[in-house]
Amino acid sequence: MNPATLIPTPDAIPVPWGWFYVLLMLTFLLHILVMNAMLGGGIISLISALRGGEQNILLGKEFSYKWPYTIAFAVNMGVAPLLFVQVLYGQFIYSSSILMAVWWFSIIGLLILAYYAAYLYDFKFDALGGLRIFVLEFAVLIMLLIAFFFTNNMTLMLQPDQWQAYFSNASGTLLNFSDPSLIPRYFHFVVGAVAVAGLYLALIGQFRFTKSKVDREALIDKGMRYFTVASGIQILLGIWFLLALPKEIMMLFMGRSGYGTILLLLGLILAGVALYFGYKKQVVNASIATLVLLTVMILMRDLVRIAYLEPYFKVADLTVRPEYSPMIFFLVVFVAGLALIAYMLKLAFGCRKEVTK
Amino acid sequence: MNYPVWNLTTFGGGFLIAFVAVVHVLVSHFAVGGGAYLVMLEKKAYRDENLKLLDYVKKHSKFFLLLTMVFGGLTGVGIWWTIALLNPAATSSLIHIFVFGWAAEWVFFVGEIVALFIYFYTFGKMDRKNHIIIGWIYFFCAWMSLFLINGIIDFMLTPGAWIENQNFWSGFFNPTFWPSLVFRTGLSLVLCGVFGFVTAAFLKDEKLRHSIMRTCAAWVAIPFVLMLIGGWWYSIALPEGPKAMMMGKSPEMGIYLQTLLWFLPLLFIASMVMAIRLPQSFQKGFCFAVVAIALIYFGAFEFIREGSRRPFIIYDHMYSNQVYVKDVPEVQKAGFLPTAKWTQHKEITDENLIDAGRDLFKFQCSACHSVNGPLNNIVPIVQKYDNVFGMDAMLNGLGKINDYMPHFMGTREERWALANYIVHGPDIRSTKEITPQHVAHETPAH
Repeated sequence: MNPATLIPTPDAIPVPWGWFYVLLMLTFLLHILVMNAMLGGGIISLISALRGGEQNILLGKEFSYKWPYTIAFAVNMGVAPLLFVQVLYGQFIYSSSILMAVWWFSIIGLLILAYYAAYLYDFKFDALGGLRIFVLEFAVLIMLLIAFFFTNNMTLMLQPDQWQAYFSNASGTLLNFSDPSLIPRYFHFVVGAVAVAGLYLALIGQFRFTKSKVDREALIDKGMRYFTVASGIQILLGIWFLLALPKEIMMLFMGRSGYGTILLLLGLILAGVALYFGYKKQVVNASIATLVLLTVMILMRDLVRIAYLEPYFKVADLTVRPEYSPMIFFLVVFVAGLALIAYMLKLAFGCRKEVTK
Repeated sequence: MNYPVWNLTTFGGGFLIAFVAVVHVLVSHFAVGGGAYLVMLEKKAYRDENLKLLDYVKKHSKFFLLLTMVFGGLTGVGIWWTIALLNPAATSSLIHIFVFGWAAEWVFFVGEIVALFIYFYTFGKMDRKNHIIIGWIYFFCAWMSLFLINGIIDFMLTPGAWIENQNFWSGFFNPTFWPSLVFRTGLSLVLCGVFGFVTAAFLKDEKLRHSIMRTCAAWVAIPFVLMLIGGWWYSIALPEGPKAMMMGKSPEMGIYLQTLLWFLPLLFIASMVMAIRLPQSFQKGFCFAVVAIALIYFGAFEFIREGSRRPFIIYDHMYSNQVYVKDVPEVQKAGFLPTAKWTQHKEITDENLIDAGRDLFKFQCSACHSVNGPLNNIVPIVQKYDNVFGMDAMLNGLGKINDYMPHFMGTREERWALANYIVHGPDIRSTKEITPQHVAHETPAH
């Protein structure tokens, strides 16, 4: 059976695809940043708890204050890219989600459990005592599992040639194990999260956002060490991931496409720069380099998606039924929303510690 | 016919979405009204210099944060998750038509989270006036979320002029938009009182507890009027089709209508009981009964709203089984299976009769019918058809005699295959033999 015959007919979009592309890249970057802080922060807290020692425990306590809202924003910032990916690639992602429906559906329940566990870890940090590490393990393992389901769906949606498995199993329990890039891709995301979360902790120390009694210098030092080590591993994982891609897609980054090759070179240079700043413990410089690096990697990831789908579909093929007024409405709401949030943050940071009338 | 169908059998027939949606709507409406409740009580505490009341508001805000942001927020994403798995074609339609409506809703969702975190974490630390402002911003963002989602949900039942002009705003400000907004706003305020009982019931200070109980009872009673007006307006704003369906043309509707009519006054009475000075032990238990009553009442309303849409998922645009209305003539002519993408049985032969029938069942029936599950179980309904001719004639009558279901879509051969599958196929036949007692429970479906 020709896999192309399985691909559903897409619906029309109201404005040219470029708008959605920009929104998708932008909101995905936001999601990745917060998601990394959430997942990587959990992993670092767990490693710290296992190693023990006063500063390590204080690091876990410091992160416990931050964890619930990183989860809230990771979910929240995930909503937007999931919306835009459905607009551009709905026919692919709806299909692959159904093939792995049991796992995909379980994400909601799992996430609720992890979220409450994170609140328990936060509100009852001291009271939990020895149980604390179990709560932490529980939440981190769930998050790692959810990440694994995401990696499966994000790869399965790109491979209609794997979809025929549905005809022997329609109960929604398929996973994409036959894809050699699945495991390196997964680890590339998880270890990357540890690197970014290391930076996040260092930034908390650098800008005095600490709430616990953790020593700021120690927090910066530890955060930057996690960042540097994880980034080093990340380069090796990236090479493994690249080699695990189908040859014609891999070659896009190695000469076949000028754009792809430049992105890869840029990525390698930026990774080197970020590592250098990490080694020198220059938190702000390392953060700027990482932000640019993440943007490059997100563009590379998208290039991989386009290449996988190339035999079947291009976003430019989508029918446009022009209707601009809803987009203008959204953009107005977006700008007003940013202003409102800025105003609220101003109030929050300006508030004093005593009750005033 | 465009998408694969997740084979759920027992938990088919919309069970998963009903499960996720009913718990979500209760908490999400509370999330809207609860903002106003917190701010109003906080203001009262400041005005009366009542530190005990202020302490209660702070505790209630923690309960509110943990219930609405975690459970409410995630089950909300969960609804989207679930509909995309159960009805991807309709989800894709709603996403593409209203993408910027959803995107704007996302902005308010961000605002809501930022505001609630700041409200909770700066309680008692921020300037009072500013803290109240943060609370109002939360309420505004939450209500705007309701405003936007309300338009899209109502569109599914009453798309109005959108069917002709395909204009975003016509679809959004559809015929039931305003009445539904009034109804849901009223309900969201009623629910503040309902959940307020729960946090108040555990207060140790008796005087404070009784005072808050009375406040909560008023929060139920006053917006109750708004909710009733909205509900009444909603019912008269409905076009003929959905109205007839709601008034019992659909056989399963009766039980939901009766539940609604009983639990509506019950909710009011139970809430007023909470206002009476009663022992704390009673209030601690009874407050959960009030929540349960609210859940059943609102659940029944949502079931009726969903049921009124039959046989469509998006009225006059797409049938419950994901077939676009505009595609029907083509399907009737060329056949369902040749136009469906996710089937291996493009043609019907003697060999694949049952398998092709199974695919047809999956595509055309399983969206609403479970096999031996809690919702719309197909097994007792088809019990009496012991031969294929009878079943085939019944399928032929679908959508004509009983128009709460879509008519059969496809050729006569395909209909015959489906009838064969239902009567002779292993999935439904074997369970019929095991459970003959189901005969007695059968609801006459025609």
